[in-house]
Amino acid sequence: MNPIQVLVESFRSMAANRLRTALTMLGIVIGIASVVLLLAIGDSMQRFINKQLQMLGTNLVYVMPGGDRTAAQRAREGKVAVLTQDDAEALNGLDSLTGAAPVLQGNFKISAGNENLSGSVMGVTPAMFAIRNWKVDGGTLFGEADVRAAARLVVIGQKVADQFFYRADPLGRYLRIENVSFQVVGVLAGEGRQSDGTDLADQILVPITAASAYLVKSPFPQNVHYIVAQGRPDVQMGEAVEDMKEVLRNQHRIRVDDPDDFRMQNLNTIAETANKISAGVALLLGLIGAISLLVGGIGIMNIMLVSVTERTREIGIRMAIGARPNDVLLQFLAEAVVICLVGGMVGIAIAAGGAALITTFADFEVYLTLAGVLVACGFATAVGVFFGFYPARRASRLLPVDCLRYE
Amino acid sequence: MTGPLIDIRAVTKTYVSGSVETPVLHGVDLRVERGDFVSIMGQSGSGKSTLMNILGCLDQATGGTYLLDGADTRTLDRAALADIRNRTIGFVFQSFNLIKRMSVAENVALPLIYAGVGRARAQARALVELERVGLGDFARRTPNQLSGGQQQRVAIARALVTDPPLLLADEPTGNLDTHTSDDIMNSFGHLNRERGITIVLVTHEADVAAYSRRLVRLKDGLVLYDGPAAEGLHQPAPAMVAP
Repeated sequence: MNPIQVLVESFRSMAANRLRTALTMLGIVIGIASVVLLLAIGDSMQRFINKQLQMLGTNLVYVMPGGDRTAAQRAREGKVAVLTQDDAEALNGLDSLTGAAPVLQGNFKISAGNENLSGSVMGVTPAMFAIRNWKVDGGTLFGEADVRAAARLVVIGQKVADQFFYRADPLGRYLRIENVSFQVVGVLAGEGRQSDGTDLADQILVPITAASAYLVKSPFPQNVHYIVAQGRPDVQMGEAVEDMKEVLRNQHRIRVDDPDDFRMQNLNTIAETANKISAGVALLLGLIGAISLLVGGIGIMNIMLVSVTERTREIGIRMAIGARPNDVLLQFLAEAVVICLVGGMVGIAIAAGGAALITTFADFEVYLTLAGVLVACGFATAVGVFFGFYPARRASRLLPVDCLRYE
Repeated sequence: MTGPLIDIRAVTKTYVSGSVETPVLHGVDLRVERGDFVSIMGQSGSGKSTLMNILGCLDQATGGTYLLDGADTRTLDRAALADIRNRTIGFVFQSFNLIKRMSVAENVALPLIYAGVGRARAQARALVELERVGLGDFARRTPNQLSGGQQQRVAIARALVTDPPLLLADEPTGNLDTHTSDDIMNSFGHLNRERGITIVLVTHEADVAAYSRRLVRLKDGLVLYDGPAAEGLHQPAPAMVAP
């Protein structure tokens, strides 16, 4: 018997018992729909979380001075933990990093014209622009030469520009910070929250050397408040962090047994945890779907067993005119698989509808992936084969003479 | 191939149900040559249906040998037996045994489908065979829409669609009235004479057995008489009650 014939036979027998077929199929429809939809929700949730985390900058590492011990403890030991521009320079040379940027930061009086405010000013190097992918809307960013010269230049966010130079072109104008004039050379493009909680539009950026000389006025001009480093996308964050530790311990001449005098904060650990949680939730959702599919599968087995018993005489007739045991097995197996596959298709369609509804009304993007749909189809077939096999084999093992005697 | 079509030697059959053994056939010898027309008669319980099931490879003998067309059926597996039922044997039952949700033509075509013939060719062959039994116009009907005699003719068409050399019939007229019975038996005679098909049928009616050339009487699982039908039917058999 060829495969087409087997399929024709299954559809025919399904059509002969429409209500029963439909009810059996319903179990599979619900099972597959819930598996597909719940997997899609789990998947979308993971995607959503990943996207959020990427926006936070999961490949950024913040290095801050001071180890696990408190400042008081360190002071007792006569050690002062600091990070310097040299440290940043050394980190910048690491292969596993795209760059490392030192930062000096503080709140200062800022004024221009009649406007007089207090705001946060960051002293940075061009490395910072590269790492954070900061660009200007108008003007330029300051460069390495400006940093070396401690040039009194400032790049400002859009909000700052609006505040101090409302409706006027800020480029070339002066912003007074701590009564020192800084010439505006650029306005940052974009706005929005950054991973460190600041708003791009609120930034006031000056060369780190200028910040040190005119604003912070520290007796140690080399010291920085923290260093931001960015791992290469193709390098595991863990490796990059290890490399950085090694470089910094060398820089600070820390003996092997002594603890670090710096701290590293990395959103990657947050990302990993979030990923684990969302993967766990996705798995849980899939499991719930799988249970309903299992119930549907048992329904199939149940009905197929009834169907075999009901059609015992027909099986006998078929065997008497030349059906081999395998033909009988295949016929019942095909029937189970066809019920599951058709049920699976309907289930996928319902899941797609459900996903569209959620996307429309819940403001949370859920869509089925091709892989998910293929997995569901495979799952449906597997359920059909698994739960159809036992009844089908039972039918194929019947003796023709017994079947023909069956009333 | 030479040699008898059916060659049964010392065949026994014992049904086992739990610890109870019920012997039905006690050692039956039977040879049927090609082209023969044999009736098997006997009271109920004589083992004629059991013998028929063994002849038709629907059941296996407990002991003895059964060569069908030279092949030892007791050494064959279930798939090979299915092929024999498909190609070598055509079976006609008392209760017709048509599949009710299929059309008449599909019923007739089914053995060809199991033989691996394509759907279109199988349908065409089935129509030819239906024409032969005079039911060409009923191809699209379902078995329920036909009379008993018509259903049995459909069953005959189905039995012959694969051109088997052997036709086995288990009480083929048991569910039919006398007139229809005669019709069916006439077509059996015709098949035997014109197409050279070997026919073995089980009946308890002397009228039906009279159509055959040879008669085998069974009693308690043993062959009581084996000879020409004309003589065997007139010979008063001991403990044989004429129906």
